[in-house]
Amino acid sequence: MKADIKWLDDPEVFRVNQLPAHSDHRFFANEQEYKSGQSSFSQSLNGTWKFKYSENAKSRPAEFYKEEYDRSGFDEIQVPGHIELAGYDKIHYINTMYPWEGHRYRRPAGVPDDQHMGAGMFSEDDYNPAGSYVTRFDLDEGLIGKRTVICFEGVEQAMYVWLNGSFVGYAEDSFTPSEFDLTPYIREKDNLLAVEVHKRSTAAFLEDQDFFRFFGIFRNVTLFAKPELHLEDMWAKPELDPDTGAGYFSMDMKISGDGASMKEGAGSKVHIVLKDREGCVCLEKEMEVQPEVKLGQTELKGVKAWDNKEPYLYTLGITLYNEKGEVTEFIPYQVGFRKVELKNKVICLNGKRLVINGVNRHEWSAGGGRCIGADEMKWDMECIRRNHINAVRTCHYPDQIPWYYMCDEAGVYVMAEVNLESHGSWQKMGAVEPSWNVPGDSEKWTGAVMDRAKSNFELLKNHTSILFWSLGNESYAGEAIARMNKYYKQRDNGRLVHYEGVFHNRKYEGRISDMESRMYASPRQAEEYLAQDPEKPFILCEYMHDMGNSLGGLKSYIDLIDKYEMYQGGFIWDFIDQALWVEDEVTGRRVLRYGGDFDDRPSDYEFSGNGIVFADRTEKPAMQEVRYYYGLYK
Amino acid sequence: MDYTNNKLKLVYGDVTLGVQGPDFHYIFSYQTGGPESLVIQGKEWLYRTPKPTFWRALTDNDRGSKFHLRSGMWLAADMFIKHADTEVKVNGEEIPLPKAPANNQYHAGAEADSVEIIFTYETITVPSASVTVSYLTEPGGEILVSVHYFGKAGLPELPVFGMRFVMPSRADGFCYEGLSGETYPDRMAGGIRGIYETEGLPVTPYIVPQECGMHMDTGWVEIYRSTVLDNRKRECLQSGIRFSAAEGNFAFSCLPYTAEELENATHHEELPPARRTVLCIAGAVRGVGGIDSWGSDVESEYCIDAGKDICYSFRIGKAVHKSVSGSSI
Repeated sequence: MKADIKWLDDPEVFRVNQLPAHSDHRFFANEQEYKSGQSSFSQSLNGTWKFKYSENAKSRPAEFYKEEYDRSGFDEIQVPGHIELAGYDKIHYINTMYPWEGHRYRRPAGVPDDQHMGAGMFSEDDYNPAGSYVTRFDLDEGLIGKRTVICFEGVEQAMYVWLNGSFVGYAEDSFTPSEFDLTPYIREKDNLLAVEVHKRSTAAFLEDQDFFRFFGIFRNVTLFAKPELHLEDMWAKPELDPDTGAGYFSMDMKISGDGASMKEGAGSKVHIVLKDREGCVCLEKEMEVQPEVKLGQTELKGVKAWDNKEPYLYTLGITLYNEKGEVTEFIPYQVGFRKVELKNKVICLNGKRLVINGVNRHEWSAGGGRCIGADEMKWDMECIRRNHINAVRTCHYPDQIPWYYMCDEAGVYVMAEVNLESHGSWQKMGAVEPSWNVPGDSEKWTGAVMDRAKSNFELLKNHTSILFWSLGNESYAGEAIARMNKYYKQRDNGRLVHYEGVFHNRKYEGRISDMESRMYASPRQAEEYLAQDPEKPFILCEYMHDMGNSLGGLKSYIDLIDKYEMYQGGFIWDFIDQALWVEDEVTGRRVLRYGGDFDDRPSDYEFSGNGIVFADRTEKPAMQEVRYYYGLYK
Repeated sequence: MDYTNNKLKLVYGDVTLGVQGPDFHYIFSYQTGGPESLVIQGKEWLYRTPKPTFWRALTDNDRGSKFHLRSGMWLAADMFIKHADTEVKVNGEEIPLPKAPANNQYHAGAEADSVEIIFTYETITVPSASVTVSYLTEPGGEILVSVHYFGKAGLPELPVFGMRFVMPSRADGFCYEGLSGETYPDRMAGGIRGIYETEGLPVTPYIVPQECGMHMDTGWVEIYRSTVLDNRKRECLQSGIRFSAAEGNFAFSCLPYTAEELENATHHEELPPARRTVLCIAGAVRGVGGIDSWGSDVESEYCIDAGKDICYSFRIGKAVHKSVSGSSI
């Protein structure tokens, strides 16, 4: 297959040759290797790559992926990172408006009618920067001779991949991993990996989040080798009966292999063990390896429940044995028993009413933008815990994978949001104006958003901390989002579905969202809803807009917790100011800059800074108020 | 001049009234409309005559709710105010204003048990409101400051109401008895009562400089300085001035900038070098709000109605929490 630049213009092309999304489990050669922390099956490709920036697709070095191409004029760039922060292309912050506002007239393909089909909209635009990345690598020893995939954890906003001159695949959806099978093209030494990243594609209509608009490879790039037997996917389902304290455990697995060990009747085995914190075995089972293995539900008496106060996790160990009885792979995963349900129109966790004292969190670093490291995640989690925050909404995209593991361990409840926001397509200058809207009811756009929903679910389904799936942010409501809702309801009966956008289109309230979600409703507006015996429990997916010196009046919301059973709390907007370190052009001092400080126009300026912590990760003075009020319910 | 008794020594100047004791010397000016000099333990504490303050730098929420479009006239009122009248009471009795030539009747050795100077101001708002500020000095040198804003119907909500003291140099820091952190009427439940010491004059680094640093429910605050503008000696021993509650607790902020300086900056690096100390002792503070930043106002119970009177008082004296030993300059 040949890569086609016109995919940038086509909303129905969003993944080409991409492997299906699967659970985010880590895998090791054996249990000892797991304890050492480093899998011999993985190899990081992060580092210094060759790079060429082009102002648009037309002027990009289209042949750059070929072995014989002369790349002597290429620069160097760090992967991961944003291209703008490396000094190419303008840094731009804008909130709801599409980033081309005032520069280009655009309507999404086929919306509101077939008058605009988007041909050449992105592929032929004079301004749509492209980054051509190249790296060379030798395979680490543990990967040689094995099936090999490459995982891009985050690339904004559309990417084409080649290995050793052959086209590998294409991906959109900036915030979920994109994986491709490299097996047919890979060699032991001197592989040539080429990645072409485009700033904008049709995905831009679906990624209109309120943030700095970056592009590039901004999360890890990793090679994974699959041993002869490999767990492709797992879904561990620990369930809790809060009335009896009994736990029920079941699991679905998908296994692949490339040799005799995978043949039916070969005698390969999958061994499963579930241990409690003390290391006592609660469940142990061995089964024949097959492409699909299901561990039926087993009752476990008197399990310890998982919640914010006591995030008790059990350790699951899955070992795959080939037909000779040799270990081919070991998979660890920590799972907790908990039950999320609606009881008498109230969201309950483990049988008790749930109160969300949460915060929205963008991934942000004043130095690296949305490219953040383990230390920053660790700081964030410690800050969340010391201030009695019990929940995070991953606004408005899936976060880096380690974050979910950290939430499992810390007992922090997660609202896991799909990478979707089409704010500029239905709200203009504050007014609801959906004369054109994506995804709306458009078949052309439904595939892309369904894919995003599926990727979010498949990747993260094992995380105990995730109580809610969120269909996206501020994208209005229509048939496409109703289908996303239906997908989650069919796929996962152990969690609830959240979406706020039906507030603006009540026609869909029966079909979208298990809860009445609002943003920035005043305490009085919340009471108006709660006082009329409503149908759905009430949650504020965004409230207490902490822009600058703010967060006054939190008490008026906290008072609702004891007054209305169906008031279930909310998520403060938001965790960290989005501002960037810049050397001041006058004094040379390192200073924090925000929207509009880069000649970026139109902009929404200081609206980028609404955190309860400053961009340099020091707490704002308002934090003591959060700590006090949230602490009342700790 | 020796202080052989406990009386205040008065200097009936042509333009000002000097009030002296063993370790203080105050000068109240009929010309500038308030105290022009407060020397305590040899150190000058005033840069310019303190005046009532009506403006706080807009918060992002103020801007979002268009508070400035409703209450913007208070910005002008904060910058420019008319000194309308001065009254002097000695030992509790009003005397004809002792400026020239009425002061010819006095002599060099005048004394009193107490002296009170009352300044009346009229705001340049439309309609105009009036404020009286009384400084009652007692023999120990402590000044009781009583502030009265006379509410006026038809005026928009106030951003803040207080007295602004600008000191000649940047303070080393301050210490107060009150609530931890930065607090506002609608954001003070998390504040923990105690005595807190702050080094320097920190400006909270909100990405756009704005109102910050308020401390609600304060029993006292002491400001410490070890620099002066006196050309004989720019650096000196650290000493402090104390502002303490008289009837009820007050709110204060102590920053190196006026509200207008903060208002003008879009980034911290645009603020001028910090060279003074701006202390605001507030009798009424507007909340910061938080419902949203694009329209919702601060909840009504935390807004300041300009139609109603605001009265409060506090005392000024030398620092006692951290006092200075050794000689003054």
